[in-house]
Amino acid sequence: MARDEYYLMVAGIGGQGTVLLSRIIGDAALMKGYHVRIGETFGAAMRGGSVHSHIRIGREVLSPLLLEDEADALLAIEPLEGLRRAVVYLKPGGVAVLNTRKVYPIDVNFGVARYPKIEEIIDAFNKLGAVFVYGDFTDLAEKAGTARATNVAVLGAYARLIEGTDAPFDKETLIEAVKGRVPSKWIEANLKAFESGYKLADEQLKK
Amino acid sequence: MARPRHVVGYDEPGRRAILLGNEAAARGAIEAGVQVVAGYPGTPSSEVIETLSLVAKDFDMHVEWSINETVAFNVASGAAIVGARSMATMKNAGTNWVMDMFATLVYTGVRGGFVIYSADDPEAFYSSTEQDTRHLAKAVGTLILEPMDQQENKDLVKVGFDYSEKFEMPVFVRTITRINHSSGDVEFGPIRKERNKVAFDRHWKLPWRWNVYGPFKYKGKAGPTAKHAWQLEQLEKIKEFVNEVPFNKLIPGETDLGIIASGIGYAYLSDALRKLGAVGKPWILKLATPYPLPEKLVSELLENVKKVFVIEEGDPFVEEQLYAFMKENHPEIPIYGKTKNQLLLRYGELGFAQVVNAVAKYLGVKAPEVPEERRKIKAEISKIVAPRSSALCPGCQHLGTYWGLRFALLKISAELRRQGVKGVWIVNGDIGCYEQGGYGIFAKPIKAEATTESKLWPFNNPYEILDTNYIMGGGIGLAQGEFQAGYRDGPIVAVAGDSTFFHATMTALANAVYNKAAFTFIVMDNAWTAMTGHQPSPTSGVTATLEPSKVFKIEDVARSLGVEHIWTVDPYDLKATEKAIYEAIKTSWEKKTVTLVVARRECALQVVRRLLRTGGLPEIYYVDEDKCVGCTLCVQLGCPAVGFDKEKKKAWIDPVLCVGCGMCAQTCPVNAIHPKTKEGR
Repeated sequence: MARDEYYLMVAGIGGQGTVLLSRIIGDAALMKGYHVRIGETFGAAMRGGSVHSHIRIGREVLSPLLLEDEADALLAIEPLEGLRRAVVYLKPGGVAVLNTRKVYPIDVNFGVARYPKIEEIIDAFNKLGAVFVYGDFTDLAEKAGTARATNVAVLGAYARLIEGTDAPFDKETLIEAVKGRVPSKWIEANLKAFESGYKLADEQLKK
Repeated sequence: MARPRHVVGYDEPGRRAILLGNEAAARGAIEAGVQVVAGYPGTPSSEVIETLSLVAKDFDMHVEWSINETVAFNVASGAAIVGARSMATMKNAGTNWVMDMFATLVYTGVRGGFVIYSADDPEAFYSSTEQDTRHLAKAVGTLILEPMDQQENKDLVKVGFDYSEKFEMPVFVRTITRINHSSGDVEFGPIRKERNKVAFDRHWKLPWRWNVYGPFKYKGKAGPTAKHAWQLEQLEKIKEFVNEVPFNKLIPGETDLGIIASGIGYAYLSDALRKLGAVGKPWILKLATPYPLPEKLVSELLENVKKVFVIEEGDPFVEEQLYAFMKENHPEIPIYGKTKNQLLLRYGELGFAQVVNAVAKYLGVKAPEVPEERRKIKAEISKIVAPRSSALCPGCQHLGTYWGLRFALLKISAELRRQGVKGVWIVNGDIGCYEQGGYGIFAKPIKAEATTESKLWPFNNPYEILDTNYIMGGGIGLAQGEFQAGYRDGPIVAVAGDSTFFHATMTALANAVYNKAAFTFIVMDNAWTAMTGHQPSPTSGVTATLEPSKVFKIEDVARSLGVEHIWTVDPYDLKATEKAIYEAIKTSWEKKTVTLVVARRECALQVVRRLLRTGGLPEIYYVDEDKCVGCTLCVQLGCPAVGFDKEKKKAWIDPVLCVGCGMCAQTCPVNAIHPKTKEGR
């Protein structure tokens, strides 16, 4: 039985398709008859800024922000950004997908900050009580035809993670939503990326 | 008819789509049959016109990016005077720009419906201030509508046109970042097919209707005073009407605790009550008209409660009106909110978390809490979360201009010191991408003191180059004032972008020349209004709807405004840029005149996007580690793609971010940075 209210967070940086991914998820919720509110931070119009979307799905939701430890799921298109949001919003036992392909912030490049090691980030996700899978989803997307499908590869892994849970949608709905949002010439590559992400999650969960 | 290029144009009443708040507003205007829309780009308002420009032809509407908000407002006012439905869009700062006409237009009112869409920015995500523009609309005395979510952002824009025509008054829609830049499912209504007839009658309904100085007589007064008396009568009618507006709702509760929630305050409250298991407990007045207050509904609420709590985004605007109203009505009932019985902060965004906690406290129920043990784990993890500061883009031409400016200032300053002048420059900033020259993302903590002498503060990156920064067009005026006050301890510089040049600096430039000021003005012309999302500007050669138009040359405009010394330079050429700026500053200092440098190159983001669209790839650069001496000059350029490995003491270039501008290669004193061949990518 699907829940009446469900909360997600999508984390990434400008240009990674964070906003598109949150709209795909919103469409899927809409297909299932829910209301959706998505709170977005755009990092102005410039590239490379931290971008995250709060997604509230429910029968009555009106407002667009999540509370601390409220997210049932976190989709991280960039590892540092995933960590930044997980530490605030991901509830204990929440599911997460972590792309391990780093994009360095200028603070790290300039030498005034340190990028945490992937092992440290994975360790932090464990300490936060996340049920998660991780991997180089950018690589999967590239192999599927375009790095731009990284967000959809992450979504594929998420589709596997929510199987058998009380999430308000399923794999088929998510795939329909992808088809509805992605430009027609990129649908094939995106669906391939979705399946690769799904498979990666499936293999990791079996271990 | 071909299908419109955006879902907001689909004539499918009942359709539900996920829309950005600003897209929803655009849909509302389409449903109302809007005919003229004008605005100036300003986050978080820009997507209304961006969206409408995609479907303008489908609905036979005129949509434009005006040169500034004042012009936009006047254009929309003129359209409303001849009977068209019109809308002006602006961000909070832009609303300040329209106040002269806004305050005067209410004296004559309008014929066609006129909606003013004002986008506030609590938390100042994208703005110089958190200003609450509801005060401005109340000051001029007209109806304010405040949506709670994306659906109401559409619905209130739509009915705004009807209400405007009903009272012949402009209607002010006050919206906020958290609605404009959030998305939600929105149900479409029917699209009004008929268009208001465009016609002109100078004595429409009232003698001398459109001329505040006309010999109109009313209530024993003439001219503007008579019109003011008429306006106040309209406002009285609006005061009655707001009790009937269906977006205001009184919801009975089980307790004697009352809550008035305006705009998004209601959305947060509604979600908070479910979270707290307190649905149905308080009496609630959901408010969509923060001004004028629906006094009958407020009175009815007060009859049923012992306390009242006001939840609103921004200033205690409703709350203060409530204090005034309750002086005569139930003065014994205490008011909670942002003033005396404070449950909410007066600064920063309202936010869901703050509302949940405040409502829990007010109702005496338990708020969700994070256990202490988990808090400790989080605090530990937070230590490794590196910041991701906002920076200029890889290959941004402003990096070149600021590099040139930095070294020109150092050179001039050293020369002046040899002549016994302190050599303390002032660089006045302005609003646009280049404002990041004042973000200080790598700045060390400063110990500030009250000094009496000019003081030079060293810096080594473009993010600390701006000394002052306030508003659109502010920098050039400040530069003149600093000069006229007698500041002679060093050169005075002002910077602005091309869109800002046309928005707000042309009159200031003429003023400076006319009044014999001396400073150097640097215009960074990248051919677009880049920061707000690359809207066309007078330098782009296209209009909002992508019709070809005149390309304005800043040098020509400046020359006609009296500027005699002008340099044009490509900011990607670092040496030439430094030289031009140096000469301009030196000339200004020696000849005591205004000098201008135009640093021109199209925004790198636009260039790269076009390249990628056509299947191309930018050339990229790499650091030859054998040659690199670790001097960090290339890092000081401030490009996000150029990094420094502290352990190896070598610079490196991020191949993902590099767009191949080659500026870093020019900074290298040992020629260690080179382009890769296409195959080597």
